[in-house]
Amino acid sequence: MSTDNRLWRIGLIAAAVALAAGCASGNSQAGGAPSGPLVIGASVSLTGDFSDSGKAVKNGYELWANTVNAHGGILGRQVKLNIVDDASSPTQVVTNYQNLINKDHVDLTFGPFSTLLTIPASQVAKRYGYAFLAPAGGGPAVFQQNLHNFFFVQPAPTVQSGDVFVNYLLSLPPDQRPQTAAYAELDDPFAAPLAEDIRQKLEAAGVRTVYKQVYPSETMDLSPVMGAIVALHPDLIVGGTQNEDAYSQVKDLVQLKYNPKFMFQSNGANSPLEFPDKVGTTNTEGIFAPADWYPGSKASGSADFTAAYIKAYGGSAQTVDDSSAEAYAVGQLIEAVAAKAGKIDNNTIISTLHSGTWPTILGNLSWGANGAPTGQFNLVQWQSSKLLPVYPSAIAQAKPEAPKPNWGG
Amino acid sequence: MHALVQGVILGVLTAGVYALMASGQTLIFGIMRVVNMAQGAMVILGAYLSYQLFTSWGVDPFLALPITTLALFVLGVGVQWLFLRPLHAGDRSQLSVLVTFAVALLVEGFMSVTWTTTDRGINTSYANASWTVFGYQITLVRLWAFLLSLFALALLYLVLNRTRFGRAVRASVQNPESARLLGVESEWVSAIGYGLGTATAAAAGSVYGMLYSFNPNSHYDLISRLLSIVLLGGLGSIGGAVIGALVISVSSSVVAAAVSPIWSQMTFFIVLLLVLVIRPRGLFGASMRGAI
Repeated sequence: MSTDNRLWRIGLIAAAVALAAGCASGNSQAGGAPSGPLVIGASVSLTGDFSDSGKAVKNGYELWANTVNAHGGILGRQVKLNIVDDASSPTQVVTNYQNLINKDHVDLTFGPFSTLLTIPASQVAKRYGYAFLAPAGGGPAVFQQNLHNFFFVQPAPTVQSGDVFVNYLLSLPPDQRPQTAAYAELDDPFAAPLAEDIRQKLEAAGVRTVYKQVYPSETMDLSPVMGAIVALHPDLIVGGTQNEDAYSQVKDLVQLKYNPKFMFQSNGANSPLEFPDKVGTTNTEGIFAPADWYPGSKASGSADFTAAYIKAYGGSAQTVDDSSAEAYAVGQLIEAVAAKAGKIDNNTIISTLHSGTWPTILGNLSWGANGAPTGQFNLVQWQSSKLLPVYPSAIAQAKPEAPKPNWGG
Repeated sequence: MHALVQGVILGVLTAGVYALMASGQTLIFGIMRVVNMAQGAMVILGAYLSYQLFTSWGVDPFLALPITTLALFVLGVGVQWLFLRPLHAGDRSQLSVLVTFAVALLVEGFMSVTWTTTDRGINTSYANASWTVFGYQITLVRLWAFLLSLFALALLYLVLNRTRFGRAVRASVQNPESARLLGVESEWVSAIGYGLGTATAAAAGSVYGMLYSFNPNSHYDLISRLLSIVLLGGLGSIGGAVIGALVISVSSSVVAAAVSPIWSQMTFFIVLLLVLVIRPRGLFGASMRGAI
């Protein structure tokens, strides 16, 4: 081996040691004696495709930080947020978390928006030993990483958010259940698997599938798809939807004058502001959707959260964005860990959250080893122009309305 | 069978909206040899203008057409004068792709800042109304869109064939040098031609906003479809744009209803490929200048 080569190797080892030391020192700040503010870093999509939801996440984080600071902070330390924009880019999100951890030496990190960004971001956090609490991004690929430091802060993995609807249908007497079902699914890592999960469970329960198609995200005009469904007269229509396509499905069904006995949409219909605006208020009645937080929720801290949200951002309980509630719940968990453990650092968060059940505004949360939550979503339904929780009965504010009233009724 | 017939009906009616958008696109190419990548963005801008007039002042999108088409006509003239006129005639077609794409990005940015990236829709009282004819549904807005499209295309035809301006346009297209020698102000013809093409986008945008939700990014989905329609019909041919819109819309709709929505997206590209292999000029494309 030449001297040059040896020097080169020594240099590499030295660099690796320096890097490891840097990481350790970055992480040890959280574990050291508490002093100064508790700095929490997060990369959020303030521009690009996810910017609407990203801003809502930012609102939720800031609302929590302001609330906790008004009550004296965490273990006497004021919370300081360091939020940066990732432009909805999976490359930028990696750079952002590396900077937050290595350059800014933040004490803790909170997650970004979407599965697309959560996957690379959680890998960075894992590399540096940071706990990673994500308010969004619960697609199957996230949990397949098997990260011990990861916690998805929603009641269940996103794909299983339709289970509550299946449970509701199966709770009905057999003669009131749908006999036939049609599934129109957006080709999306969230929407299609969710609808497929429902289909498999309903087929196993004897509900016959008469139509099942996946449509690409570029599909502007869903009327031929809905026309094909209408021709088969299904009792139930399940939309594996996001936003635009959810509105199109409803509008097309209204125009085609077909009213199914049951209708469920994975996303879109659970937006209290956008949905009635896009499809017309009178066309929302009876449509089901999954939800974690909902107006009037009795979950821990929900009333305070709602009041603080309205004070900070205006509107009413009906206009609170789910993504803000999920982000707020991330902060609640940090508070709860600190209260229970008497200290706050990444190792404490990881080990503490892996045991027990944690009350949040989204309900009681708990996680498996890979960060997948073990609970169940709530079923909400549009009734008299309001989105109300209707199942399970423990949280219901109204009885489920079935069969669905006619459009415009 | 019911689904198939309903698919054909929906396809024909939707074709009207596409024909309206594509006629402007093909007009612009016919007059100026400009491959206009901004037409989709102009359609969405038209939808936003209608949305604003409807939500702020309750102006019906169809009644707002004189305002929105005039606004986009002026914008189109401005874009031509500022960005396209300086391009060298020799490589205008190639350069215009880049320049008009930049215009599309500018318009997209403007829309994002003005109306944010949230999805919008124009919900008139009749937006979801339909008539039942022999058990099939005829959507009111699509029917109006179809009729509006026929009206606008007829108007465009009359302007091009029965007016002095139309003669000047055709003269400029067929022989720009001779036209100039005979006193035709070809730069003004181009500017007004681009303005007219953009004005059709405003009309199509109003209808588009009633049929679908839209956001500043929606133009990306539109432009590939518009270019396909124009290529299929033949660059520069207004009649070709109508036939192209019908072929693409009906075939997509029927395949989505009877086979799969995944294949529906592919269908128009397959149809386009086949037509271009057999007839590279498109269905009604002229082999030389002067197709309009």
